[in-house]
Order: sequence, then structure tokens, then C-alpha cells
Amino acid sequence: MLFAASGGLLDDIRSFCIIAHIDHGKSTLADRLIQHCGAVTDREFRDQILDSMDIERERGITIKSNTVTLEYTARDGRTYRLNLIDTPGHVDFSHEVRRSLMSCEGALLLVDAAQGVEAQTVANLYLALEYDLEMVPVINKIDLPAADVERVKEEIEEDLGLDADDAVLCSAKTGDGIEEVLEAIIQRLPPPAGDPEAPLQALIFDAQYDPYRGVVLLVRVMEGSLRRGQKILLMHTGKEYDVEEVGLLQLKRVKTDELAAGMVGYVIAGVKAVSEIAVGDTITDVEAPADAPLPGYKEAKSVVFSSIYPMSTEEYPELIKALEKLKLNDAALTYEKDSSAALGFGFRCGFLGLLHLEVVQERLRREYDLSLILSAPSVRYRITLTDGQELWVDNPSLYPDPGSIDGAEEPYIKASVMMPERYVGAVMELCRDRRGENTTFSYLAVGRVELTSEMPLAEVIFDFYDRLKSVTQGYGSFDYEMIDYRPTDLVKVDILVNAEVVDALSQLVHRDKARARALHYCERLADTIPRQQFKIAIQGAVGGDIIARKTINAYRKDVTAKCYGGDISRKRKLLEKQKKGKKRMKMVGAVEIPQSAFVAVLKTDRD
Amino acid sequence: MKPSPSTGAGLYIHVPFCTSVCLYCDFAVTIAGEERRNAWAVGVVREAEMYADCGLTFDTIYLGGGTPSSVVPERLDSIFVGLRGQLEINEGAVCYLEANPEDVTLETTTLWRQLGVDVVSLGVQSFDDEALGFLGRQHSASVALAAVEILLAAGFHTVSVDLIYGLSGQTPGGWKAQLARAVSLGIDHLSCYQLTFHEDTLFGRRLAHGLIEQVPEREQAELFFLTHEVLADAGFEGYEVSNFAAATRHRSRHNQKYWDHTPYLGLGPSAHSLANGRRWWNRRKVRQWQTAVDSGRPPIEDEERPSREELLLEALMLGLRTTDGVDLNRICERHGIDLLATNAATIDRFCKSGHLHMDESRLRPTLTGLAIADTLARSFNL
Repeated sequence: MLFAASGGLLDDIRSFCIIAHIDHGKSTLADRLIQHCGAVTDREFRDQILDSMDIERERGITIKSNTVTLEYTARDGRTYRLNLIDTPGHVDFSHEVRRSLMSCEGALLLVDAAQGVEAQTVANLYLALEYDLEMVPVINKIDLPAADVERVKEEIEEDLGLDADDAVLCSAKTGDGIEEVLEAIIQRLPPPAGDPEAPLQALIFDAQYDPYRGVVLLVRVMEGSLRRGQKILLMHTGKEYDVEEVGLLQLKRVKTDELAAGMVGYVIAGVKAVSEIAVGDTITDVEAPADAPLPGYKEAKSVVFSSIYPMSTEEYPELIKALEKLKLNDAALTYEKDSSAALGFGFRCGFLGLLHLEVVQERLRREYDLSLILSAPSVRYRITLTDGQELWVDNPSLYPDPGSIDGAEEPYIKASVMMPERYVGAVMELCRDRRGENTTFSYLAVGRVELTSEMPLAEVIFDFYDRLKSVTQGYGSFDYEMIDYRPTDLVKVDILVNAEVVDALSQLVHRDKARARALHYCERLADTIPRQQFKIAIQGAVGGDIIARKTINAYRKDVTAKCYGGDISRKRKLLEKQKKGKKRMKMVGAVEIPQSAFVAVLKTDRD
Repeated sequence: MKPSPSTGAGLYIHVPFCTSVCLYCDFAVTIAGEERRNAWAVGVVREAEMYADCGLTFDTIYLGGGTPSSVVPERLDSIFVGLRGQLEINEGAVCYLEANPEDVTLETTTLWRQLGVDVVSLGVQSFDDEALGFLGRQHSASVALAAVEILLAAGFHTVSVDLIYGLSGQTPGGWKAQLARAVSLGIDHLSCYQLTFHEDTLFGRRLAHGLIEQVPEREQAELFFLTHEVLADAGFEGYEVSNFAAATRHRSRHNQKYWDHTPYLGLGPSAHSLANGRRWWNRRKVRQWQTAVDSGRPPIEDEERPSREELLLEALMLGLRTTDGVDLNRICERHGIDLLATNAATIDRFCKSGHLHMDESRLRPTLTGLAIADTLARSFNL
């Protein structure tokens, strides 16, 4: 039996995560486990403690994973240390999910007793199996009137290939069966392996920014041990740091002397910004380094790009500050200066995906009270010029003169959609509409289908996920991985308002999609730009060719009928208010375009 | 010959009484008996006393309301006498009176003439009985026609008629007929107001609840231009958004003061005043105003001292409502800002689009410009 250096036994540690379909009660179960182990008093208890960001709470998804170490005294009388590693739940963050899974030995596979096995459950299970995790099926919500435990057990056996006889029944809501879940964790999940005396290998699976302490690294020690005062090396970035503090995450940070192999905890080592480090990197000892880093490291790469402009130029300095602060906590966000003739100074930002973009936008709005305009999201294209030169373009304003372009390539993904059989037709059509190639499907189980399709990423960032949800009535799950770059027939669509190009609305699209996209933009603008005292022509153009057009008729009268002594103050105040509103408009030529118009064009629901 | 150009101040007296309240009206009005009417009349003079040393000399007196014509002539007389005792009122000051057709008789008009009333604004609103019913007016078209005749015969300097357009269902043809009717009477001045829905009125609430409809903007604009065109053809000069004069001498000299920041003093509930860079307004509720006046306190609700930017915005918003426009030299003298230099692009843009034109130092709106005076005023950087 191995002893952890802190005096505990490796045998007394379990590290696990919970994988589940959205809404199957993952956060509630986590809360109940925390509560049962007494990590919080009932007074401190706040529902869904682990999902701390407002956006996560509202949307019911986990974006930034949180982790907690619980102490549980089992029926055998021993006290165990349980590391509950929370995982983010969206395809944009699958890199983070993988890092979290690498830190675990096992997982609770949570299934809703009424809903049964869902596509996402299957997808997450496969991901967990890739990391060779031990699985414990947990059937939740057994208190629901619609609960059908027998049918769900059948589905677990047939669809997931797991032994359902061992499934633990519980209701995270009422607290029923929580102790059984905890017992199953210690009895059925393996303890960590690892040698506290070996050269140090610790996996950074997450990082948080603390305004007082700098970056707090969340780590799982695989081999060796981490101590205060140790000189450490981050093997991928090659940077060295001095460890200031190590400890356990017990909802708050609890200092310890060291973190030994098998343990999960935090490290503070003078890291200033999250962007300095990379999640997935391996920490080792400078004096006695490990031979190689832990496997599976992948750099988080921006795949979606958009320019962010402040609505009012006065907010530009604040936007700079806000992005700097966000970046401290969000290593995946990239940005560089950008400027637009229509919108002034801003930043070209890179995101992991559309959800990531939305989260950043939302945080800028809520946490920094900034009013922003975002340009149409774009992927990064590879352009070959006639002189043989190659360049990467993700910003339509940097798109070279079409005459000098020899060819263009765009990124492709392999999309994997899992769904009940009855939606296959609709999903295949959706994939075809999105230029999907080599679309195939296979039966995972009776009635359940996995469809794969090779699709341009550009087609996915434009409302694919929303459309998928809609055509599968929410039953479709979606995951993707980047595969390669393929030749494409690219054109730059410009949007003109009274013959002036609004550069922030320009976009790069496939020639076949140009007309439809241009029309969509023209329609949205025509709906959202208020009528002005002259006629406004909104056009979509490729080069000199107009491919879409909408007109906003002029208003001819806005003056009020009466204005005498008693009306003057009131009337002036009204005009002042309107003038203020105008400040929040962008002038393109003589046309005032409200922020809502820029927002509306990016809305893609087609109803 | 009394009305002539002058630079004197305007005196406004608000008569807060009506015999019934029109459904679209948002003025401070009430229906009250003789006792309160008498108290009000005494109060107006007491309020005037508070301004005895205000330093203003008045050359227009305007009785608005409410229904000034419902005030019995003896009471009007006592008010006039009282005001002249307290304030500096020019011998030749022009006196205006708003009247409802049902109050116009040979007897009252004779007395009004004797009291020195020069201009009567007659609240006809429409020559169509159905429309009058819709608006909640007490008179019929025939009463209105008779009233105009009596007024014209009485020898007032100016007889003006108020009309309302933009009633739901009104066709351009129908409105044109109304205008033709008005013109045919031989009146000197017309005010044509587009029906406005104020939130706090019965009409406003009916509109909010979908019980009545507003004429679409496109049709409103059509009626507006039609009004100006038809009246121009009939020899009326549309000198302001809603005001038309058969000759320059019939323009409302009192109202002009509101549009060019000439000082004015308002007496009575809800009346507004402007003097020495300060604007103040009276308590709106008749009882509150009365209580203050009776106890010798100024019945002022609130006041403001508009900043230079605010005054500039007002100057534009008001000036551009009139075909005289704004005198940029005068603005420069008054406010120290040369709009021609600071807003060259805006001025140029609207001149090119045919909404404005420069006439020596005056920036004047064209008819299409008049229609979007609010947009024009809003477009300047101040």
C-alpha cells in the first residue's frame, strides 16, 4: 500500500467527475454531495455552488469548470478524500473537458429516470471511455412521477453497454440515495496510482485568476510531489516559477504542506496571467525533471474571429481594460487592435467557438457595463496569391484584391451528430444545406443513430447548432473536431448603405451562399434601421455586382403640431433625449444606424 | 393701426375654465362655478402684482385656455384694469382672445371690441358635425359658421380660425373641402393643427387601448403638405408649421415671441414665463395655484436656467418651425456660436437635400424642411 506524503493513503483518495446530458441534474447532484460531506453548512449553501458564473446559472451550462475536495467518512469507518472535478458542458470547451477527464480515475454517469439515455450521454460516455475511466451509472430523479427505472436500466444496457444492475438510484433533489452514490464512489472507483518519490508530473487541468494572488493553477499530481518553495518548470511553455503555496480546494483554498501523487489541489506560483500558461501543460521539478510531459497536450486554438467595437468611442479605453482583465482568466481569448471606417477603433478577437464568443460578449456587457458591436464571425482562411505567397485571413477587411488570388482554402470539421433515428432525414438535409460531404450514419443501438459529416467550419458557426436543435427537437447532440483545409470558392460580400460600404458588415462566404447571406443582412438592416428623412438603399454586393437590395422609405414629417410657451421645455428635453440616443448610433454617410441593427444582422433564427 | 413690429414682452393669461373638457385636450382646465372663476380673476391680478417690478414692458396680451370666451366681459374688464394697474403695458398692446363658437354673439363681440380685443382665435376645429362630435366639441358646424360671420362683422383686426386635421378616416379630399370652406369665409388667419394624442387625455388612453387609430405617418405627411399647398394657393402664407396668415400683418405677433426667445410673462395656473435667462412655470392645478396666490406666495411650480447648449437647441427647434428660420448672426451675437462654422457639413447636407436654404444670414427651412423641423434641430452639434 502506498502512502501519500501528507500522511494520507493513496488508497483513501478518489477522483471523479460527473457526466450527464444537460438538465439531467449534474449540478444538483454535485451540490448534494458537497452538502452531504459537510463542506458547507446549510446556511452557506447556495444551490448549484459549482456553477458560479451568472451566465452558467442562467443557461444551465458549465463553462468554467470548478473542482472541490470533499472529506467523506464511509460506512467502513475510514475517511476518504473525494476530488469532484467539474467539467464544462459544451462542444467549444471540449479541450477543457478532456483535461478534466485526465485528472480522474472514474466518472458518475448520470441518467434522468424519466428522460432516459440521451445522445449527449452517449457522446460523453465515449469521451470518458477514451480516458479509460471506470463508470458508475447513476439514475437520478427517481422521485419524479414519470420515472421509469426499469426502462432506463434497459437503455443503459442496450445503448451504453454498461451493466445496469449496479446502477445507483437516487434523487439529488430530495437527497435520497446520496449516501449510496458516495459508497459506490469509494467501492467501485479505483484509487489513484502514482509514486510520490518519482520525478514530478502534475497536470494543469484548469486555471483561475485571483486579483490578490495572481493565477491559481488547478492541478492533479500524477507522479512525485509539489511543495512550497519548489522551483518548477512548465514543460510546454518552458517557463520556470517558484511555488508560493499549495493546497486543497475545499470550496475555499486550504493551504497544505504539499500535494503528492494522486492528489488534486491548487498551486500559486507567481503566474501573472492565465495567458502565460496553458491548460494541459505538465509541471515538473527544475532540479529533477520528468523525462517527458504527460500526453494529450493540445494548444487551445481560436477558430472563430470577430471584431469588437465599443458603441461609443469614449468607451474604447474601458474596452482595452476589460479585455486585459478577461484575458487574465480566459487563456483561450485572443485579441489584437483593429479599426473600422464605420465603427472606429476596436479589437479583432479570436474564440474557441460561437458559445465562447457569446460568453465573452456577455461578460463584457455585464461585468464591465460596455455597450458593444460585434462584426460577423469568421473562420480563418488560407489564401494563395498568384505570386505564390500564402496568407491567413480571418478579417474581411484584410481580404486581398480578388485579381491577385490564386486560390482559397477553408477549415473543415468532422461533425458528429447523435440523435434518435427519426431525425436522420432532417439532419442529413441540414448537412447537405451546409455543404456537408461524406455524410454517413451508423446505428449505435436500436433507434439511435450517429451521423458524421465533413463540413466547412464556416457553415457551422452560422447558426448550425440552433438549426440542429430545432430540427431534432432538442434531441440531437453535436460535437466536432477540426480535420483539414479544403479548397473553396470564396467571395467577399459587402453591405452598402446608401452606396457606402459598412466595412464592419463585410464577410467572406462561399459563392453559392453569397446571395442568401447578403439578402439576410439587407432584410435585417431594413427591419432595424429607423426610417430617416430620405430614402435609404441597402445593398449586398460582390465586387461591383449588386446581389441583394432592400429599401427603407423616407419619413417626410416629424414636427409636432403645437409649440408654444408651455411646450418648449418639454419639447427640448425630448429632443435632447433623442440626440443622446443618436450618439449611440453610428453614422454611415448621412444614415444613422442603431446598435440594434448590428446586433440584429448577427441573429440567425429564420422565422 | 395697432399691430406693428416691436420688441416688447408678451403677457399670457391662462383661463383654466371650460364648460366641458374636449377629449384631446391636455391643457390645465377645469369646470367651475362663479365663485371660483371670480377668485381666479382676483388671483390673476394679485399674481401680476408680484411682477410689478419685473422691468418688462408688454406689447401683447393673450388670453388663452381653457375657454377665455366663457369669462363674462365684466370680469375680463376687471382683469384688464387690474393688470394695467400693476404692469407696464403699452398703450397700443395687441390683445388676443381665444373663443369658442357657442360664446360668440353680437353682444359679446361688441363688448370684446370695447374691452380692446384685437384678435379673436375661434376654436372651430371642423365644419363637419360628425368630426365635432368625435372631438367632444359642444358646438355644431352651423354655430361655427355663424360665429365667424359675427366676428368678421365686428371689426376685429384679425379673425383667426382653428382647425384640426388628421382624424382617423379623414381623406385628403375631405380635408381639402374643410380648408376651402374656411378660406371662403374671408378670415385673416388660420391655425391648422394635426390631431395630437397626449398620453394623459382620454384620446391618448383610447389610442393606447386600440379603441381609436392614429393616421399613418405617410398620410399625416400628405395632409400636412396638402394643407400648406392649398392655403398657399388661396393666398395664405404658411409662416409656421401650423399657422397661416392672409397677410403678414395678420401673423400672430404674440406667438412669435415664443419662437424667438422674446421675454414673456405667464399668469394663471400652468402658465410659463421666460425672462432674463430664466424660465419658470406655475402650479398646474387651479386650487394649488389659487391657494398660493391667495396667501401672497408666488404660485411657481419649478424653474430652470437653460444652459447655452439648451438655449441653442431651443433656438433651432423653435426657429426652424417658422419660415423666417433662424438668424445665424443673431445666434452668434446672443450665444457666441457661429453655427455656419461649427455645423457647415450639416447645413450643407440639408441645403443640398432641399430642406434648408440660406437667405443672407438667415437659415430658413423649405416646406419639406418645416415638416422635419425636429430632425433638423436635432442634427446640429451644439
